[in-house]
Amino acid sequence: MSKYLDLSIKEIHELLVEKKITPLDLVEEALRRIEDAKDLNAFITINDKVREEAKDLGEVEEDNIFFGIPIAIKDNIVTKDLRTTCASHILDNFIPIYDAAVVEKIKDKKMLIIGKTNMDEFAMGSTSETSYFGAPLNPHDKKRVSGGSSGGSASAISGGLVPLALGSDTGGSIRQPSSYTGIVGMKPTYGRVSRYGLVAFASSLDQIGPMTRTVYENALLLNILVGEDEKDLTSVKKEKEDFTRLIGEDIKGMKIALPKYFISDIVDEEISNKVKEVISYLEKSGAVVDVVDMRYLDTAVNLYQIIAMAEASSNLARFDGIRYGFRANDVDDVDSMYTKTRGEGFGDEVKRRIMVGSYILSGENAKVYYDKALMVRDDITKEFNRIFKDYDLIIGPTTTRVAPMLGITKDDPHKAFMDDVLVIPVNMAGLPGLSVPVGTNSEGLPIGLHIIGKAFDEATIYRLASFIEEVKR
Amino acid sequence: MDKLSREEVLHVAHLARISLTEEEIEKFRGELKVLMDDIDKIKDVKDFDDEMMYTPINDNTRLREDVVGDMLSAKEATINAPKKNGSFIEVPVMINE
Repeated sequence: MSKYLDLSIKEIHELLVEKKITPLDLVEEALRRIEDAKDLNAFITINDKVREEAKDLGEVEEDNIFFGIPIAIKDNIVTKDLRTTCASHILDNFIPIYDAAVVEKIKDKKMLIIGKTNMDEFAMGSTSETSYFGAPLNPHDKKRVSGGSSGGSASAISGGLVPLALGSDTGGSIRQPSSYTGIVGMKPTYGRVSRYGLVAFASSLDQIGPMTRTVYENALLLNILVGEDEKDLTSVKKEKEDFTRLIGEDIKGMKIALPKYFISDIVDEEISNKVKEVISYLEKSGAVVDVVDMRYLDTAVNLYQIIAMAEASSNLARFDGIRYGFRANDVDDVDSMYTKTRGEGFGDEVKRRIMVGSYILSGENAKVYYDKALMVRDDITKEFNRIFKDYDLIIGPTTTRVAPMLGITKDDPHKAFMDDVLVIPVNMAGLPGLSVPVGTNSEGLPIGLHIIGKAFDEATIYRLASFIEEVKR
Repeated sequence: MDKLSREEVLHVAHLARISLTEEEIEKFRGELKVLMDDIDKIKDVKDFDDEMMYTPINDNTRLREDVVGDMLSAKEATINAPKKNGSFIEVPVMINE
């Protein structure tokens, strides 16, 4: 049995160039691995045309390291002619008629889309247990969740099913599952990556990003995802850059801030200790790490609940049973078509969030809740900017605990938000953040370090992350 | 445990255009109360300035040229519609004489 997918992307590319293997070999291996690990439930839909696509690829492009490499796509990113469900009953038969901007980029690089990964319904959740298709499992312990909402992508990478995946991050949904499963996940700066074709959850927070086995491959994949897109007017025009360019450099003189809140008693002791261990190594290696006070961090979950639920209630108004997706039977008029379709089509978590979101935006409530949240959001962002006047990066643990057991947060509307308490502030400020594995706890469960950078300074995050990854090796 | 009233649940369900079963109404009375209490915590934040941040993007006034671009065919536009008749999407009767 072949094991090409355990090699680095660079090594796989060399084998392809030397014609020792073909893209079809890689696809066959990935499909076999997915079949063998079916119990992980990492995928919702497998691309049944991927073998043909591999055969049709033609001559290897030597200058394109991604040629013929299998990739998995989170199921809230639309793929032309390939079912995209958002893990919801309301879209369980939806076949997109266009590709998301990132999917176009992936296809331009002749990568092979193996399938669509499992997730929380409409990305609402922190364990992927709100999926209509059942939760994906954590390969480190199948009784535990793989996090959420990009839990399927995290399972797929961590379980070695594919080397590369895309996730989306509205309030930690790339970084938290990456931490729980021991992989590398980056939420780029808001505006870095086009959101065109990402089924919107909270438009002012959502961002697509890469989930990979290593820091280097993460930076490589980000290289091809970024860029201004006229179909997403919140995407930002920037000079083309190579995000791998600082990888391998030492960290002498680097100034790093550690907010007190990130090592407060909300964090599990083993995780705090692991982070302190990493910090002492960073200091020995020439970095300066200062514990700093940062205000408003403890308001972030509250802001997230208000802003994300409000924006979600507006974004999900489009699911009306008319143009696409599920429509309830036995409806007498347009009103009952809307309400029955949505009542039968959405799961509990989504219903709760849309209902509370609609309440937040109704009448005077919009001032009381939404406007106030936007004011505090501005303050949190100013706090980050204040720290970044003196520091290159901010670090802390990605999560307060290791991956929880299945079922532990299910149907608890409050706990579902608390898993993301350390990662949400980054979405508020639109900053880039990455989770890199730094080891395991006494039970062998992965712990992730969260590295936050200045806006559009992903390269410095990768510099520190690769240094830590190298030490760990 | 504190709960919303049945009427309060039905009010937010109406705002959200979601029909609920009797069991759901009962279940959401407690669950929505938890979330309503959560969002209320914003009122406790005292020290803040009044500048609002709608989006992390500073320059959000950019618009693209208003020119005709690619268009969908009727077939493409209706391909996912749950009920259709030829190239039309079917909906329940909207105007009754």
